[in-house]
Amino acid sequence: MKMKYYLCFLLVISSVITAQQNKTQATKIEVKDTWIRTSAQGSNSALFFEVVNNSDNPDTLLSAESNLAEVVEVHETFKRENDMMGMRKVNFVVIPPKSTVKFKPRDLHVMLIKLKKDLKQNEKCDATLLFKGAGKIKLNAVVRDMQMMMNK
Amino acid sequence: MKRAIIYSSIMALILFSCGKDFSVIEDLSGEKYSLIDQDEKEVYFPGFVKGQTVVAGYIFTNCPDICPLTTNNMRLIQERLKKDEVTNVQFVSISFDPENDSPEVLKKFAEIRNLDLSNWTFLTGAKPVIDKLMKHIGVVAVPGDSTVFPSGKVTYYYVHTDRIQLIDGEGRIRKNYPGSSINIDEIIEDIKSL
Repeated sequence: MKMKYYLCFLLVISSVITAQQNKTQATKIEVKDTWIRTSAQGSNSALFFEVVNNSDNPDTLLSAESNLAEVVEVHETFKRENDMMGMRKVNFVVIPPKSTVKFKPRDLHVMLIKLKKDLKQNEKCDATLLFKGAGKIKLNAVVRDMQMMMNK
Repeated sequence: MKRAIIYSSIMALILFSCGKDFSVIEDLSGEKYSLIDQDEKEVYFPGFVKGQTVVAGYIFTNCPDICPLTTNNMRLIQERLKKDEVTNVQFVSISFDPENDSPEVLKKFAEIRNLDLSNWTFLTGAKPVIDKLMKHIGVVAVPGDSTVFPSGKVTYYYVHTDRIQLIDGEGRIRKNYPGSSINIDEIIEDIKSL
C-alpha cells in the first residue's frame, strides 16, 4: 500500500516536471506581414510572412496547411551560376531564438500548388503554420500583387 | 600641341564614358519562329515586332516566385516608358513551358495581374520550336524539383535562366538583364539610348 502511494507520488512529480519542461521549451512565436501573391486557379502561388521568435528557445516550422491549394509545401528559391534560378522543397525551417526569419520573394516561401480558385487582389485567405514548439498558428493573409507590396 | 593632346584625351574619355556597349549578343533577324499568342493567333518572332524595340522576358506560369517578379518588373518598365512618353516599344513574354502554358493559361496569367496588353504579348508554341528558340537566345530551362499530387500526378519546377532581354528593331539581342532583379533605371536609359 505504501509502495502504491510512493508510485503515485512519483507519477505526479514527473508529470509536473514534464509540464514545466514543456512550458520552458514553448516559444513565443509571432507571424506578421502575411500576404499571398495574386494568381489564377489551377496555377501556383506563394505565401509570404515574417516569423518573430521572441523567446530564448529555437522553434521549427514543420509544415503549412491551407484549403486554397491541392498541395501546400515550404519551399525556397535558390540561385546558381549563370543567372540560373530554381526552387526546392525544404522539410523544416529553424527559427533561432530572439530572431526574425523572413519568408519573402526570391527566398523562403510557402508554396500553394494548384490553386482551387483565383486569388484576386485584396481578398483575404486562411492558412495555418505548424511549429514544433508553438504548435498551430492560424493566418489570415491578404492577396497582393507585387506592385501593391512595393507601394506599401 | 600638348594642350591639344590633353583636350582630345579628355573629350575621348567623356565620349567613351557616355557611350553604351550595345554590341550584338545574338542576331534573330533571319529567324521566323512560329509562336501562338494569348489570343491563339499565330505570330512569327521576332518579325511581328520588327521596327520596334522589344523588352522580352522568359517565364513559366507555374513559377510562384521568380517569373512573377520578372513579369512585374516588365510592368514597371512599361509604366515608366508610358510616363516618359517613350513609344515604339513592345513587350514580349515567352513561356519555356509550352506543355502547361497554353494561350488560355497565359491569358489568365496576364488578366489576373491586370496587365496592359496594348503593347505586351504573351507567347507559347510547339515544344520543338520553343526549345530551339530558347537555345538560340541563351535561356536555359531544365526540370528540377517536383511535387507529387495525391492523385499521383507529378509536376516539375524549372531551374531556369532569370532573364529579360533588350532586342532592337532589327531583331538583334543587345543586352541581357537579370529578370527578377533588374535595375529599372538602367534599362529605361538603355531603351532611350538604343
